[in-house]
Amino acid sequence: MNKETIKAKAKLVMVDDIDTDQIFHQSLLTIHDPNEIKPHIFGNLEGYKSFGKENNVGKILLVGKNFGKGSTRQQAVTGFLAHGIKAIIGVSFGPIYYSNSVNSGLLLVEVPGISEFNVKEDDDLEIDITQSLIINQNNGETIKCAKIPQPVLDIMKAGGLLKLGEIM
Amino acid sequence: MTSFTLIEKIIRNRTDSSDSEIYPNNIVWIDLDLVTARDYAGPQVIDLFQKNYTGSKTFNNEKIIFTPDCYPYGNDPKHAKDQEKIRVFAKEHGIKVTDLGSGIGSHLLFRRGFSKPGDIAIGADSHYNILGALGILGQGAGDVMLAFALKTGKSWIKIPETVKVILKGDYEWPTTAKDLALYVLKELHEYGITGKAVEFYGEIIDKLSIEERVTLCSLITEASGVIGFVPADKITTDYYSENGIEIEMLSADEDARYVSELVLDIQNLGQYIACPPHPHNVKKIEEVIGIPINSIVIGSCTNGSSADIHDAAKILKGHKINPNVRFGVVPATREDFVSINLNGDMAIILESGGNFFGAGCSTCAKGQYGLTGGETAVTLTTGNRNTQGKIGPADVYLASPVVAAATAIEGKIAAPKEVVKR
Repeated sequence: MNKETIKAKAKLVMVDDIDTDQIFHQSLLTIHDPNEIKPHIFGNLEGYKSFGKENNVGKILLVGKNFGKGSTRQQAVTGFLAHGIKAIIGVSFGPIYYSNSVNSGLLLVEVPGISEFNVKEDDDLEIDITQSLIINQNNGETIKCAKIPQPVLDIMKAGGLLKLGEIM
Repeated sequence: MTSFTLIEKIIRNRTDSSDSEIYPNNIVWIDLDLVTARDYAGPQVIDLFQKNYTGSKTFNNEKIIFTPDCYPYGNDPKHAKDQEKIRVFAKEHGIKVTDLGSGIGSHLLFRRGFSKPGDIAIGADSHYNILGALGILGQGAGDVMLAFALKTGKSWIKIPETVKVILKGDYEWPTTAKDLALYVLKELHEYGITGKAVEFYGEIIDKLSIEERVTLCSLITEASGVIGFVPADKITTDYYSENGIEIEMLSADEDARYVSELVLDIQNLGQYIACPPHPHNVKKIEEVIGIPINSIVIGSCTNGSSADIHDAAKILKGHKINPNVRFGVVPATREDFVSINLNGDMAIILESGGNFFGAGCSTCAKGQYGLTGGETAVTLTTGNRNTQGKIGPADVYLASPVVAAATAIEGKIAAPKEVVKR
């Protein structure tokens, strides 16, 4: 991720308080292979149960507040990496989910005012990291996101915390 | 000039980030003074290190300690093998191990002077923030972060907002620091300190020993807080000087920016108990007196020190533990074990019908001493977790060593009948 902007199509899952059981149910905890985790993502989230079988490669996921609250399970992050999700934009994230994601190389972007941002499924979004802006290229709207901290950028660039450790 | 809270100051001294980067909710890289791991998660950390950094050295073997304290004497084959993995890796890399029977890692860090005020220490222990009692920034960390830290000596931290908590008033025996900690947990849980740091102030702080401060700070995790600090003072300085260690009394700036300030009235505080199923379900002891208890454990990083065991011994002296009660003591460290041997507390407790187990963690994490088997074994511990299923399938209560001892005599939850003078 050696660039200042990320461009991708939007995938909307604008639900608040999605917990890790809705992302990847606890009955599946013995599954660790990313490809086996993939079809189960959102398997317990009403209205989005087909997500696991859809093709959302290279998209940016938009969610509500407190995304990923609940347990420490890593599969709830791994599953989105397996789907090729580029980043998740949300109002806020569960603290453990945030650190699990960052350490695995999945970028999370906090946008407190996301509900006022006019965006439709498959709109072309751009995350401008330098200016902390999200741009909807289809309607020209922009919205401020929280500044992405330097350690997060360092970790994303390396492809995860353990990878960063190889070069430090 | 910018002003800083205690946690901001500690972070500021251990980061390359500029002062303009030190503000709540920002994330910065920090340099670690100490990286530790224990028999829970330690083996996974070693696996990750060896897989990702094959053939690499650690960042500095003198700033790493392995502190197996969870599964005393490898009480099943898996844990015995895990502990062996730690020893082999430590030997290969020249890393210190405080092996089985030494005690709880977080306690050894201050008891043996491995960590001092102003330092940052991380370990696979969600109660590493008890180190805040000495002005040390202690934090629990996951496998990935610890493996990265072993290699680089670095970690990242989201700078928390700080709540200033002023404890107003004083209390008297048999109310102890555990009652204070439980009351503060109840209040802070209601107030909401999720993801926040706390700094404790008030005249009472000047009267609390290091062990009592540790007890106070040990329940911040249960309120979802990041850490509770007692800024280093003369009591802290004296504590370290006994080990010949000089420390710096780091404190928050007078005009530091707190997210809020909370005054808690603790005048004539009574005795409290955490009831099932959450540590924050704290009630006055009067509400639960008489509930039958048949398993009691004195131990944990919250209340396993020699001072805590002494509190129990004072109540038990000359009494017999109720025949329906199994009573176990797990000293926090070897030093505590020695103290209670020298001052006669161990004999008092043994004569009253109590039992002793090797120094280390006790009931809070799974798999240690104090496990009960059935639906009928209702437990009271001096620890910090009463989550259903952690110790056994039945209810678990959390209380002070004084209440634990009084309960042991009666066989049901009891407040000490006789007030024993300190």
